[in-house]
Amino acid sequence: MNNGERAGPVVWTGIIAATCLLLLVVKQLLWLALPFIFGTVLHYILLGPMQRMVRAGYGRNAAALLVCLLFFALASLALAAALSWNDGPEEESWEKTIGLYLDGGVAFVHNTMTLLEARFPVLAEMHLTSSVNKAFRTYTDNFAQEHLGEILVGVATWIPSLLLAPFLTFFFLRDGLRFKRFLARAVPNAYFERSLYLLHEVDQTARRYFEGLLKLTVLDTAVLALGLWTIGVSSPLLLGLISAVLAWVPFVGSVAGCVLVVIVASTDAPSNPFVAYGAIGVFVLVRLLDDFVFMPLTLGRSLRVHPLVTVLMIFVGGALAGVVGLMLVLPLLGVVMVIGETLGRLVTNPRLRARHRYARALRTRQASVDLDIARERRGAPTPNAEQAAK
Amino acid sequence: MIFGFLKPTQMSPRLHRLKNSALFSTLTPLELKIVDGLLHERRYLKDEIVFDEGEEGQALYLLMSGRVRISRLHEGMTQVVAELEPGGFFGDLALLDNTPRNAQARAIEPCEMAVFFRADFLGLMETDAVIGYKISLALARHIGRRLREWMGTGRPQLEAL
Repeated sequence: MNNGERAGPVVWTGIIAATCLLLLVVKQLLWLALPFIFGTVLHYILLGPMQRMVRAGYGRNAAALLVCLLFFALASLALAAALSWNDGPEEESWEKTIGLYLDGGVAFVHNTMTLLEARFPVLAEMHLTSSVNKAFRTYTDNFAQEHLGEILVGVATWIPSLLLAPFLTFFFLRDGLRFKRFLARAVPNAYFERSLYLLHEVDQTARRYFEGLLKLTVLDTAVLALGLWTIGVSSPLLLGLISAVLAWVPFVGSVAGCVLVVIVASTDAPSNPFVAYGAIGVFVLVRLLDDFVFMPLTLGRSLRVHPLVTVLMIFVGGALAGVVGLMLVLPLLGVVMVIGETLGRLVTNPRLRARHRYARALRTRQASVDLDIARERRGAPTPNAEQAAK
Repeated sequence: MIFGFLKPTQMSPRLHRLKNSALFSTLTPLELKIVDGLLHERRYLKDEIVFDEGEEGQALYLLMSGRVRISRLHEGMTQVVAELEPGGFFGDLALLDNTPRNAQARAIEPCEMAVFFRADFLGLMETDAVIGYKISLALARHIGRRLREWMGTGRPQLEAL
């Protein structure tokens, strides 16, 4: 397919409008959007092993089922190992552990404020520590009444919908090829080859994006874990992995990951705030590496979109659909761009349109081969009717 | 279900028809089944154009039933290059590279075709090298036969696509 022919401003306006419309739909169907993303990512991870099983003689059904079961069994084992391998502070119950880490975080903020006031007297005059403490207290005092109910309802709603992800993965693996053929069957002959190319490109764009995202997650996890292990923070691998997954959401995810790392670091060494500062340093360093080295090597190659459009669309995604908008705007833009550019070329190709009209005329002629429509309109009996009358 | 791989693959009439084509004749029933999963079915009416000369080629067409005429423009005149019968295939050069079609294909009878998309073939070469090499060898033999015919007769490239 000729890629030199770029889409014009009309097509690009359509691409951006369609992306925004899809983001609004995603916002309404959030409960389905997240399991769908996880399902798609897992599908691309497990497709290779499933194809090898099909080659070994398994049916698609059995291969998809076995691959999914094996993956979730291994993932559960890895999670159980990560949870049991805890070299952080020991507590009797998980509620106490969470409380301990929250206290550690609060203590870190308090210590930092005190340190800042000691270094910069102007901050002491502004009563920085007491203002921050007051804001904290107001938030924590009303937390149970204002937010706890919402959080619990949110968790109760989200857990069943996230359980959809394994089912979606299984069906994507088993029926993906069939679905592609089903879509291709609906395309008229004149547009068939180019539509196959379009389907392939959409698949490749999504695959490149999600594979890039996975590579980025592995790189981020490894580098962050190494950095945190060097400065002596507990469970560096698990922390690195959680932060790397949180970074899937642009801006917000990175901040959440940093807060998590700081809380753990300050709890591990409550008397030494420099461990937490070190953790912030490591986190910032990894983000810089991520933005300037890893991302151009992985995700940057996956979407061929102008950097300015990319940044603007991230803001638009956030404004239209919140956190999920931030997360999904780039893969959606990539897919809509491929569809828009190809459709733009298809509908403006006069030869393909002429061939399609000709094929339709052939089909109409074949369908009405023994039907004299003009004669029928005049009210005269058709040759078949005359024959039947005889 | 888990031990399904121990059962021999049954050959459906469609797989038998695929096996009869020179392109897939060396494939085992299991390999044929894998390839069949990648093929698209298309039906063309008499006189319908399958593809045009100069069009970007993305797929190979395997004729399951009906007949197809391959023709090209030569000095302003339409020159018939070949007429293909069931079991024949055309558009094979598109499977190897991304060059434009160098002839037009038109159905001269109602046709049923199996279409092998280039990206699926390249994907198969990566995921299943054995099937990939068998099909590539069949393609190479086919192109070699054409070349020998051309050298022997001095005629323009036969079935040039």
